Amino acid sequence: MTRSPIHPGELLISLGLIALGMFVVWETRGIAETQGYAQIGPRLFPYIIGAGLTLCGAVLSWQALSGGWRNVPLDQEEHDAPDWVAFAIISVGVILHMVIIGWAGFIVASTVLFVLIARGFGSRKIVRDAIIAVVLATVVFFIFTLGLGLTLPKGPFGGI
Amino acid sequence: MDTFSALMSGFAVALTLKNLMWGFLGVTLGTAIGVLPGVGPALTIALLLPATASLDPTGALIMFAGIYYGAMYGGSTTSILLNTPGESATIVTALEGNEMAKRGRAGPALATSAIGSFVAGTIATILLTVMAPIIVDFALKFGPAEYFSVMVLAFTTVSAVLGASAARGLASLFFGLTIGLIGLDSQTGQARFTLGIPELLDGIDVVVVAVGLFAVGETLYIATYLNRIEDKMEKVKGSIWMSKSDWARSWKPWLRGTAFGFPFGTIPAGGAEIPTFLSYATEKKLAKNPEEFGKGAIEGVAGPEAANNASATGTLVPLLTLGLPTTATAAIILAAFQQWGLQPGPLLFETQPQLIWGLIASMYVGNVILLILNLPLIGIWVKLLEIPRPLLYAGILIFATLGAYGLRNSWFDLALLYTIGVIGFLMRRYDIPVAPVLVGMILGPLAEQQFRRALAISQGDLTIFVRQPISATVFAITALVLFGPPIWRRISARRARPATTP
Repeated sequence: MTRSPIHPGELLISLGLIALGMFVVWETRGIAETQGYAQIGPRLFPYIIGAGLTLCGAVLSWQALSGGWRNVPLDQEEHDAPDWVAFAIISVGVILHMVIIGWAGFIVASTVLFVLIARGFGSRKIVRDAIIAVVLATVVFFIFTLGLGLTLPKGPFGGI
Repeated sequence: MDTFSALMSGFAVALTLKNLMWGFLGVTLGTAIGVLPGVGPALTIALLLPATASLDPTGALIMFAGIYYGAMYGGSTTSILLNTPGESATIVTALEGNEMAKRGRAGPALATSAIGSFVAGTIATILLTVMAPIIVDFALKFGPAEYFSVMVLAFTTVSAVLGASAARGLASLFFGLTIGLIGLDSQTGQARFTLGIPELLDGIDVVVVAVGLFAVGETLYIATYLNRIEDKMEKVKGSIWMSKSDWARSWKPWLRGTAFGFPFGTIPAGGAEIPTFLSYATEKKLAKNPEEFGKGAIEGVAGPEAANNASATGTLVPLLTLGLPTTATAAIILAAFQQWGLQPGPLLFETQPQLIWGLIASMYVGNVILLILNLPLIGIWVKLLEIPRPLLYAGILIFATLGAYGLRNSWFDLALLYTIGVIGFLMRRYDIPVAPVLVGMILGPLAEQQFRRALAISQGDLTIFVRQPISATVFAITALVLFGPPIWRRISARRARPATTP
């Protein structure tokens, strides 16, 4: 498999690491250094970490620009094209769950999540998935709220 | 015999009905999640952390340890019967194990891995019992500088030595250390890296990070890249018992595998991948008929299976005696100790001998239970493999979101969960190891504490780390581990060059 000399994904992650490292250093400057008994305050350690991140990002950027990161299996082997539709469906599932759990309740949100994830993995039996989801979510809801004392949102239909 | 009486008092703790039950629950759960692809011990223990906070620590820790080594038993079942391994530590087992199953020898393959795991687990537990007090005696002399130096060594070996690339491992480690910085500074109480978001004052919870990386990230990765690969399950046909020649061919690999696995677990270079590969290579070299390798040689199952179990137990040596986690799961177990305000290390052997020795004694019992669970009852676990992939991952995500949301009923944790999940997805895609994130995040704050204590003692003089003989030695080893291999590679490349270009 021939490779393009510059791998855009790898370069982006490397630059992201540099940006994060510089951000850590920049934020650390805003932490007040305490004077007193402790010789070393809350700033030195974050400085070291920020520098480390930046350095790793720099090395990886250089690798990305000179033939790509070393030994990445997915770059070397032949593999099927990634299934971005599946990625999108699962992402929608997780985000939708986050948005609705507060008012729709745990059982409804989890059912929606379950059906969407199963769909993302290619399941076409939506009715079967929904039935399993409702049963599983209800059982889990009562085990965790009544059995383990966790508080979970009931929602308009929950906590029957 | 101080150790012996300590161990006996440990058995008195481990054999109470309540703790036996926790141990049984742990190893059963461990076997189940080991069998299931997509769920590992680190994820399971992380999900159980909030639910166990109010329990008695001894029982809960016995359960967590059971989940850890139980997963090693269960993982081999998946590797043998399915063409996709259940746990990363059992990849090597799949090489020969799956071939044996295809040739109708699934039974003996399962048996040699279960019995080999038992032999290795028990020997490793004995070694843990003997070694722990010796290391504790030594570690009692440690001051902050020494602790900081061994933590740096652990950071280096976990991130730079394992895996395909030191740069990616270290990037992962520093990312974990950055997450560990978020929240209130433990010594001055100042807020750091909270960006003015009140939810971040307590820091990012380890549950959210572990579940995000291992559940959400993994689910996204499998769905995007691997969902089109068909799982093909082999049937367990015929007797599961091993023939006389199977025994004769298995027992030496078991012992050799243990000899590889345990030391690799104990030195802070955790992970079972390297010793299982070493064991496989050794068995291939020593085998009477090496042409059988690749076509289902029982030695290639027996050795690596023993190695991964011995190394799982081995990682508990640095964890319990020094408080050093060297794998993702060990890091989560350390976080479990912390939720009860306990800090593993030499002092815990003195202040909580009941807990520590009860935990160690429970592992002797747990290995016996696992042998029973994984030989006669193997049929039950095989059923778990029949769960269709869409339902399995949908179920995993229900528990994952529950774990994150249940912490404080905040959508903020779910947003964080998804963000970390996407990061985990990218890490899988670009082969960046995940374990250093967790080790860095959990061990980082402790390392900073020791670092600042050491400098408070020396009044800000950084040379304290090289003036103390122990920490100087450990730092020298760290430098050797980090810079040795690349320098060696360059030297040998230079030597090779004149030979090729005359």
